[in-house]
Amino acid sequence: MSIPVLETENLVKVYGKGATRFDALKGLTFEIHEGESVAIVGKSGSGKSTLMHLLALLDEPTAGVVALEGEPVNKLKPKKISQLRNDTFGFVFQQFFLNPNQSVLENITLPLKIAGMGKSERNRRGMEVLEQLDMADKAKNKATNLSGGQKQRACIARALVNKPTVLFADEPTGNLDTATSEIVEDILFGLHRDYGITLVVVTHDEDLAAKCQRRLMMQDGEIVTEEHGVKEVQA
Amino acid sequence: MRSVDVARTALGNTFRSKLRTALTVVAIVIGAFTLTLTSGLGAGVNKYVDNVVAGFGDSSQLFVLNAGAGDAEPTEGPAEYDPEAATGSGGMFGPGTGGGLLTESDVETIEGIDHVSGVDPVVMVSPDYLETADGGQYDLDLDSPANAVGLELAAGEAPGDDGMDLSIPEEWLTIYDTEDPEAVIGETVQIGISDVTGEQTSVEAEVVGVTEEALSGIGATPMPSRELNQELSDLSMQGYEGQAEQAYSMAVVDVDDLAANEDSVKNALTDEGLLGMTVEDQIGAVQGVIDAVSWVLSGFGLIALLAASFGIVNTLLMSVQERTREIGLMKALGMSSGKVFGLFSMEAVVIGILGSVIGVVLGLGAGLIGNAWLTGESGPLGGVAGLTLFAVDPLSILGITALIIGIAFLAGTLPAARAAKKDPIEALRYE
Ligand SMILES: Nc1ncnc2c1ncn2[C@@H]1O[C@H](COP(=O)(O)OP(=O)(O)OP(=O)(O)O)[C@@H](O)[C@H]1O
Ligand SMILES: [Mg+2]
Repeated sequence: MSIPVLETENLVKVYGKGATRFDALKGLTFEIHEGESVAIVGKSGSGKSTLMHLLALLDEPTAGVVALEGEPVNKLKPKKISQLRNDTFGFVFQQFFLNPNQSVLENITLPLKIAGMGKSERNRRGMEVLEQLDMADKAKNKATNLSGGQKQRACIARALVNKPTVLFADEPTGNLDTATSEIVEDILFGLHRDYGITLVVVTHDEDLAAKCQRRLMMQDGEIVTEEHGVKEVQA
Repeated sequence: MRSVDVARTALGNTFRSKLRTALTVVAIVIGAFTLTLTSGLGAGVNKYVDNVVAGFGDSSQLFVLNAGAGDAEPTEGPAEYDPEAATGSGGMFGPGTGGGLLTESDVETIEGIDHVSGVDPVVMVSPDYLETADGGQYDLDLDSPANAVGLELAAGEAPGDDGMDLSIPEEWLTIYDTEDPEAVIGETVQIGISDVTGEQTSVEAEVVGVTEEALSGIGATPMPSRELNQELSDLSMQGYEGQAEQAYSMAVVDVDDLAANEDSVKNALTDEGLLGMTVEDQIGAVQGVIDAVSWVLSGFGLIALLAASFGIVNTLLMSVQERTREIGLMKALGMSSGKVFGLFSMEAVVIGILGSVIGVVLGLGAGLIGNAWLTGESGPLGGVAGLTLFAVDPLSILGITALIIGIAFLAGTLPAARAAKKDPIEALRYE
């Protein structure tokens, strides 16, 4: 079997100390392989976002190891980790986090700007991704003037613009109505299918989770069950 | 992130809340304006004073006054009479520079001091009028011949030791209805003076020079030669019964190798209650006052900048707080802490550049226009020859700009460090 893109060993995250001590993750060990689509499912407060932040190298575990392509990351310098995040990962956060003062194009090319890419190349790549998501006509609009679904698509465009290996999405449909949710789901799984992007989706939406190849069910900081195979959605 | 992008983003962010930036910049503009104006003022006046000093040449002379009256403590009510400290008035070395009159015994004392090779006591005279060949009479105050070295000449030469000569200031050309200073050289005039009994007599003198007014005031009044001065003094003493004690307003003392012996001669004079000054000392006093004034004003400029730097800290801290999420996002998307720090310090620097450029340009404009107006032909100080009140010194302008940008950068480090320390997770959770 190939080396997994991401793997964890005995991952523990503890918030606070003493009386306020809270064990958010209680020793998780699992692997995510290249081209997989994985859903992390569970009730609110079960530790899904915490886990995603650790996998995405946004936070450091209290104990345990996260390894990227077989290499433990806890020994890397912060600067190197920042660079890895910029190169390898795409993020769709639980909230949009679009800069209201900037145009859609400026917003979605931010990762490229951070990477140090020149302006014309940035804009070319940005337009490419916007066209892919049917958003090209909104490129010059201010980010505030978009509808909810358009905002979420802009966020996905921002996550894709640096051609990531792994796309993390935290509740990508959490703020959207059912119709728009479906469009966003289609886009995400289309990318997964067409470009082989590894998809890590955090959700408590059964429908979205069912479309993933694997589901990690979380409860109180532990993975209680693991399901394989795309489930048929019961009507 | 590329440096150009850091700069461009910083610039964009600075203009995001225009009013707040503008208010912060105004404070810096005030500081930059003041500093530019005061440093230009100092440079301009000092340049002029240096020119004047250079005009004196290297003199081996020391000007000696009676220090006594100048040291007198201000008293309440009438001061007690001190027969030793007779007071006199007039000229550059009059009451303004604080001195009583020198007596014959003082002159002897000075002659006895080591390294003194000659003493030339100067008599102050107060003539009544100057009469031109066509009979016009004018009110007359004479400057002391000892000031002749400081004259700036528009034509002719300075009145010397011998000959019944005098110089007149440029303004007096109107008497002869001419604008050409050369035209009046060689004119003869009568100088009238009253003696002790009140009887007027007059003496003939020749105009040998036309003078411009220097900053020190020398050249603003007619100046006699030494011989003419002595003659006038003798005339004024006529009719005095009894033994008149000759009194002098000052003495010009020649010193061997002034550079080496200046201190010892001055100390010896001080021990005798006398005050010795070189040309540099006198001009230096003027320069010292100007320097002090420009330092005080610069001090205000620096205080304004200090206040402005807190404005920058405040503005950027607010900005960091407001943009917590944006910072978190940038860090989550892989921006290093160093670059975040760079971005926010750059914003401070942009504010500093804006403020200093606007302030310096305004300061230069105000200085140059003010100088042109004040010292121009018809300006209030137009009569002072070669006077510059404001000079552009590129080095100090660069210095001021660098100083302000430096201060802005320092002010920006606190908020920038705040921003760089932000944890992306906390920032993204921040509501
Ligand atoms: N900085 C923190 N300090 C203390 N407790 C925290 C902190 N961050 C998260 N927690 C706690 O950790 C637990 C897991 O939080 P997490 O955000 O991972 O939940 P989640 O599964 O993503 O929930 P949701 O579905 O509501 O987003 C929660 O009980 C939360 O209160
Ligand atoms: Mg969550």
